[in-house]
Amino acid sequence: MRKMILLICVLALATVGIAPLAAQDDMMGPSVMLAPGEDLVIGFGAALTGEGLAPFGIDIRRGVELALEDRPTVTVDDVEFNVALDVQDSMCSPEGGQTVANRFVSDDSIVGVIGLMCSSAAEAAAPIFDEAGFSTISASATAASLTTSDFTSFNRTVPTDAAQGLAAADIIVNVLGATNVAFIDDGSAYGTGLVDVIIDAYEELGGTVAIRDAVTVGDTDFRALLEDISATDPDLIYFAGFNAEGARLIEQRFDVGLEDVPFMGADGIYGSELVDLAGDFAEGVYATRPIPASSDELDAFAERYIETFGEEPPSAFNTNSYDATNLMLDAIEAVGYIDDQGDLVIERETLSEFIRSASFDGLTGVIECDGTGECSSADIGFYQITDGAFVQQELEMMEE
Amino acid sequence: MQETTDSGPSGSKSRPKRALSFLRVQNAYAFIGLVLIVIFAWVFFVIEIEPQFYLQEGERARYAWDTFISQFIIGLAQGSIYALIALGYTLVYGILFMINFAHGEVFMAGAYIGFFAINAAEQSGFLESQTALAILLTMGVAVMGSVIVAILLERIAYRPLRGAPRLVPLITAIGASITLQQLFLRLFGSSPRTYPRISLFVGQGMWGCEPVDGTTVCEGIDLISKSYDVLIFNQEVRIRPFFFVILFVSLLLMSALWFFIQRTKTGKAMRAVAEDKDTASLMGINVDRTIVITFMLGAALAGAGAVLFALYNRQVTPFMGFIPGIKAFTAAVLGGIGNVPGAMFGGLFLGVAESVFPSALGLPNQLKDVVAFGLLIVFMIFRPTGIFGEVLSEKKA
Amino acid sequence: MSLLTVNDIHTYYGNIHALKGISLHVNEGEIVTLIGGNGAGKTTTLNTISGITPATEGQVTLAEQDITTMAPHNIVRAGVVQSPEGRKVFTRLTVRENLEMGAFTRTDGGIERDLEDVFKRFPRLKERENQLSGTMSGGEQQMLAMGRALMAKPRILLLDEPSMGLAPLLVKQVFEAIEYLNRQNGTTILLVEQNARMALEVANRGYVLQSGRITHDGPAKELQNDKAIIEAYLGG
Ligand SMILES: Nc1ncnc2c1ncn2[C@@H]1O[C@H](COP(=O)(O)OP(=O)(O)OP(=O)(O)O)[C@@H](O)[C@H]1O
Ligand SMILES: [Mg+2]
Repeated sequence: MRKMILLICVLALATVGIAPLAAQDDMMGPSVMLAPGEDLVIGFGAALTGEGLAPFGIDIRRGVELALEDRPTVTVDDVEFNVALDVQDSMCSPEGGQTVANRFVSDDSIVGVIGLMCSSAAEAAAPIFDEAGFSTISASATAASLTTSDFTSFNRTVPTDAAQGLAAADIIVNVLGATNVAFIDDGSAYGTGLVDVIIDAYEELGGTVAIRDAVTVGDTDFRALLEDISATDPDLIYFAGFNAEGARLIEQRFDVGLEDVPFMGADGIYGSELVDLAGDFAEGVYATRPIPASSDELDAFAERYIETFGEEPPSAFNTNSYDATNLMLDAIEAVGYIDDQGDLVIERETLSEFIRSASFDGLTGVIECDGTGECSSADIGFYQITDGAFVQQELEMMEE
Repeated sequence: MQETTDSGPSGSKSRPKRALSFLRVQNAYAFIGLVLIVIFAWVFFVIEIEPQFYLQEGERARYAWDTFISQFIIGLAQGSIYALIALGYTLVYGILFMINFAHGEVFMAGAYIGFFAINAAEQSGFLESQTALAILLTMGVAVMGSVIVAILLERIAYRPLRGAPRLVPLITAIGASITLQQLFLRLFGSSPRTYPRISLFVGQGMWGCEPVDGTTVCEGIDLISKSYDVLIFNQEVRIRPFFFVILFVSLLLMSALWFFIQRTKTGKAMRAVAEDKDTASLMGINVDRTIVITFMLGAALAGAGAVLFALYNRQVTPFMGFIPGIKAFTAAVLGGIGNVPGAMFGGLFLGVAESVFPSALGLPNQLKDVVAFGLLIVFMIFRPTGIFGEVLSEKKA
Repeated sequence: MSLLTVNDIHTYYGNIHALKGISLHVNEGEIVTLIGGNGAGKTTTLNTISGITPATEGQVTLAEQDITTMAPHNIVRAGVVQSPEGRKVFTRLTVRENLEMGAFTRTDGGIERDLEDVFKRFPRLKERENQLSGTMSGGEQQMLAMGRALMAKPRILLLDEPSMGLAPLLVKQVFEAIEYLNRQNGTTILLVEQNARMALEVANRGYVLQSGRITHDGPAKELQNDKAIIEAYLGG
């Protein structure tokens, strides 16, 4: 036993001792070099296929595309470089995230990455990006753990679920007056993370968890689960997940006698897709989401979106990805320099440092990165589906 | 095919343990009865006896008869659909000793094609005016769609590989499955499509009339979409008549299949081909044609099941075939792959198990897939032949 | 008038050259027997005629029709039915269903009557009518295979060792059935037999096969008296 502990101590010391040495070896750190005339490539990863997810992924990509329409090039020391986008489908799974991360880090010419979209993909990808010294900026991965796990590569221009979770718990207890809530997540990093945060806050506010359970993504029959929930007589059902499963849950409540129990979700079910899928059953469903800042600029952007793509944006993530792209390009222009050979050099470490302390006025409000990768601090809004659309609700009281 | 249970001393040579020995009961129907008794005994214990030891005065137990009854019925409905799909696996396995992993996509194709049919019916108002007929037509179209996909699959992917080592068509089947998913994804996009919500009222006047806005309305009951609170064994439970419609239609289709296989000349030819292709061809049976017919039958059931599924769960996507597909495959193996009543009972059993077991065992519902595949493992260890006892491994190819 | 003509056929199993140029013919109304030792190629000859192992060279003609490369089920439809060796009944079909499979290609109304005929000839089959044939004894299955052949009513019937493994009394019954088929129904028969003595007894003509080649042929009476054949196949 003593030997064992000794061994562990030695090993621990060894790793701690060697790590700085290893780092010193490579003083410069990894960097990107571009000859004049070469494209500056930015990676993009989102779920571009999959039930109920692809509309979000496409929306996020469109935000990036609009940002690049505004800034098709970056200029460093008066030299212009074209910006190109390498689009990958990172799906909404750890495997998808790892695959895309490995693909990007194996390509030296990728300067930074916009994405990944889903928290589960981002969480699995972050260690890989960390290792390679990359910087990523996500417009939609909201899991609280992403900025509390000491990842060096992860940044986001969307508020953390910690904020959304606290707000949701507050609304559940103080606005809706529910104290026996059934919580369901979809087993994803986003879903479980969000429910974790909410339950902590909710119990602090005096609520009891009637039941906590989860659905499998891709499944369609949740009636047995709803029967279990029904047996606990909840006064609210909270679901952290996405449209496809959310719509089934909302609808199948009627098959088990839970139609009078209010149903609430988060930004994962906010949007017109939910109403398309659940129809009349969705009437009265609650959701929270980060409030997109309202400004003339934003209105103009929304109009431009509709003009360009011919439809209403299915989510607000396009504004977050617009900001994410601008943040990335700002950072590149700020830290890039032209070396003696006339090549553009971007050191990954300085790029990361710059992003983590950046601050500018974005489309979604003030973007101010706090050093952990958290760059957005939008307020959380509370919505209810009324006559087939999400309508923002006034909150009589929130903070006491 | 059911009579094969009494042939062969399956499993008697190597019995690893005495525990769970009831899983070895030779006769399939005795086995089913025993399993049901064990389940009911356990549920009775959990609901009636266990709470007496820990429940406080006036506290209501989480798990009670109403939950059990509801979940049982929900499980039967889900299981009926598994059974319809499982029959496709089992028919093809029975005749080609090959697992058609693209069968879930045959199911998906039926749901999609049915969607376009029912959508057209809704747009034209036909669905409103002739609901029952429109649903039947939708089923017909979906069945045809599934059948066409299955014929193409057999023709393009499997027939050229007949006689190749067994792993080859298996890999091809997985490839075909992905190809079909991607094809439908590219054609129709990844956003789910939803079937309309349909009401089909029957029994007007039998359940009394209500005065509404001055006129008397005799609604009857809605067979498809509405659900009702009823008393079953003195327990108030919420029932959607469609649960029973699914069960009934599935049983009807399965009986028709059974009749076809047992009584018709083509059905007998199918069984002959399943047993010995060369000898069957010496009787003048067209083996290729019989194999195609087998694929068509499986696909027809999957197509009909797809419409039931889509009227029930409403949501249709290119990936919808995956989960029901693997569940149905599991059901087919539980029942004894290659065996027709086995697929039927396996499907119903799996549906009920998935629905009832997690709650009855005090587990979160999240674990229902674990329960399903756990059952598969238990069977693989203790009753590798499945409920109806055909031996998986000792098959001539 | 020759009904079935086999002209210089060669058949291979992979590299194995099983039939090395076989020619034979069967006339309308004849019983012709094909005898030879184990592995001589008798079954292969029948399977080549039936299209299960098609010939790579040579032709098989039925009346004027070339059936060399036809699919097995079409050859059956053309009128050539084989009762394969080793019983090969469908074990998971009932006795009655097996007999019905024998009549699979027939569309005439006489099937029920022929069923009764078979049951009369083999009363044991009648007793087991609705039993799965796999649960019957080997001899009973052999009877069933013979019954199934009787149901086919083809222009020419190929029988591969129909008496194999049967008790002497039943062997006699089988040969009676063969003669009956030939006399009463006028069915032409190509009979493969290990029991060369009995086979030559009922046959009009015979061929002797050895290692994929025909070594002797002629009227059955002549073969019965041929010294070499007596030594090799008729047990001295
Ligand atoms: N499927 C096969 N693959 C390879 N070789 C085969 C196959 N079937 C038969 N043969 C070979 O072809 C030759 C002829 O076989 P065949 O079965 O025609 O003999 P047979 O005369 O019917 O013998 P028996 O009296 O034992 O039935 C034999 O050498 C045999 O080994
Ligand atoms: Mg032979």
